[in-house]
Amino acid sequence: MIEFQHVFKSYGRGRNILADINFRVSPGEFIFVSGASGAGKSTLLKLIGGLEPASRGSIQVNGQRLDKLPARARPYLRRAVGVILQDTHLLFDRSALQNVMLPLAVTGQAPASAGARARAALDKVGLAGKEGMNPIELSGGEQQRLAIARAIVNRPAILIADEPTANLDHDTAQRILNVFRDFNRVGVTTLIASHDEALMAQYATRMLRLEPGKFFDSGAQA
Amino acid sequence: MRSWLRQHRYALTITLRRLAAQPFSSLANLMVMALALALPLLGGAILVSAQPVARQVSVTPELTVFLQTSAPGGAAAAIAQRIRDDSAGQVQAVRVVPRDEALASLRNDPTWDQALAVLPGNPLPDAVVATLTEGEHLADRAGKLAQAWKQWEHVDQVQLDSAWVQRLEAILRFARVGLLFLAACVAAVVLAAVFNTVRMQAMLQREEIAVARLVGATESFVRRPFLYLGALSGALAALLAIAAAAIALAPLNSALLGLARSYGADFVLHLPGLPVLAAAVLGTSILGALAARWSVTRNTRF
Repeated sequence: MIEFQHVFKSYGRGRNILADINFRVSPGEFIFVSGASGAGKSTLLKLIGGLEPASRGSIQVNGQRLDKLPARARPYLRRAVGVILQDTHLLFDRSALQNVMLPLAVTGQAPASAGARARAALDKVGLAGKEGMNPIELSGGEQQRLAIARAIVNRPAILIADEPTANLDHDTAQRILNVFRDFNRVGVTTLIASHDEALMAQYATRMLRLEPGKFFDSGAQA
Repeated sequence: MRSWLRQHRYALTITLRRLAAQPFSSLANLMVMALALALPLLGGAILVSAQPVARQVSVTPELTVFLQTSAPGGAAAAIAQRIRDDSAGQVQAVRVVPRDEALASLRNDPTWDQALAVLPGNPLPDAVVATLTEGEHLADRAGKLAQAWKQWEHVDQVQLDSAWVQRLEAILRFARVGLLFLAACVAAVVLAAVFNTVRMQAMLQREEIAVARLVGATESFVRRPFLYLGALSGALAALLAIAAAAIALAPLNSALLGLARSYGADFVLHLPGLPVLAAAVLGTSILGALAARWSVTRNTRF
C-alpha cells in the first residue's frame, strides 16, 4: 500500500529533514507517526500524499511510484488519499455541507447524490444537524471533524492526518482519534502524526518515530 | 460525459456566484470593457452606413467634355469618334449628350425648371461623356487625357466627374484601417481588463484553489471557473457595448437627419447587422476566455 525506500528530503541546500527512511505499510493498518516538533512528521505525510516530492529515494503509494507519476495523474492519486492538514483549510465562505461536497464536485458527482454522501459523512463524524452552519460557527473539535468528513467523503483507501488533535482538550482529542479508528475498522489505511505520547499510548498500534537523524519503526522491530 | 457536463455546470455556478459576490467591482469592470468596445462599434456603424452612399455612385471615372456653345451641330459626334479612335485602349464607352437632351433632363428637376424658364434659350452646351477603363494610375491617365482633349477644337472644358467619389472611397478605406487599429487597441484593453480581473479573483480564491488541489482537483477543474469568468465578462461587456452604441445612435441620428435633409439626402446611422454583432459578442467572449487562461496559468502557480 505504502512503501518508502531510502527516502531523503531536504529543502534547497539545507540539511536533510528526512534521511534514508525505509518502511512499508500494509492495507488496513493504523499507524501513528510521532516525534518532536520539527522532526519531519508533516513532511513525511506530505510525501505520502504526493503534496511534495522526495529529494531522493523511491515512494510507492497505492500501487503508484510517485517519482514516476506524471503531473496530470497526481490529482487522481490525491483522490485515493484523504488528507487532513494541521491547519484544517476549511472554506469559510460556504456551509459545512458545501465544504464536504467539494471533493465530490471535483469528481463530477451529481449534486443530489453528492449532498446525500456529504450528509452521511457529516453524520459519521458526529456533525449531523450542523450541515448549514458556517465552519467559523463550529468549535475547534468540530472543525477538525469537518475536515475529516471532507477527507473521507470520497472513500479514500488511505487517510493521513497531521496533528489532528493539536490544540484540542483531551476528551475532544480522544473523540477525534476514535473517529479515525472507526474508519480504520472498515479498511481505510490510516496514518496520524502526533506528538501527544499519552494519547498515542492508549492505542496499542504500530508507531513510526522520527528523531533528528534517526528513524524507528515499531512494526519493523516486532 | 454526464460527469463532464456536471463539472462544467459547477464551474458556471461558481463563476456566477463569484460575480454576484462583488457586484460593484464586477459591474465596473464590465463598464470599462463595454465603453471601450462601444467605440469601434460606433465607428463600424458610421462605416456601414456610409458605404452604401459611396456605392450608389459609380466609382468608375468619367471624363465629360463640354463643347463651346458656338460649336457646330456635328462637332459632338466628331469628338466622340475621335476619342474612340485616339484612346481606344483607355476608354471603355463614349456617349454624346446633346444640349437639348441635357436641358430636358434638367427641366424634369423642379428645382431647375423655374430657373430655366426665365432664360431666353438653352444655355447648355453639347457634351461627350467618356467612361475610362479601370487600371493602374487611373488618376494620372485621366488627368493627361483631360489635358489633351482640352486642346481640341470646339472643346470648352473637360471635367473629371468621379474624383470626389474616389476621394470618399479613399477616406472610407482610411477609416476602415483606422477602425481595425482601434479594434486592436480595444482588444488589448479587453485582454488587460480580463487578465487583471482573473488575477484578482485567483488571489481571492487562493485558499479554495489550494483545497481543491488537496482533494484531487485537476488543473482543468481549477481553471474552468476562471475561463467561464473571462468568457462571460467578454460576452456581457460586448452586449452592454451594443446597447450603449444603440442608445448613442438615437441622438446622433436626430442631429444628422437635419444635416442630411439640408442636402436633400436621407442618411441614417445604424449598427452593423445581426451576424456581425453576434460575431463581435462571440469574438469578445473567446478573447476573454483566452485572457483568463493566460492569467490563471500565470497566477495560480502556488
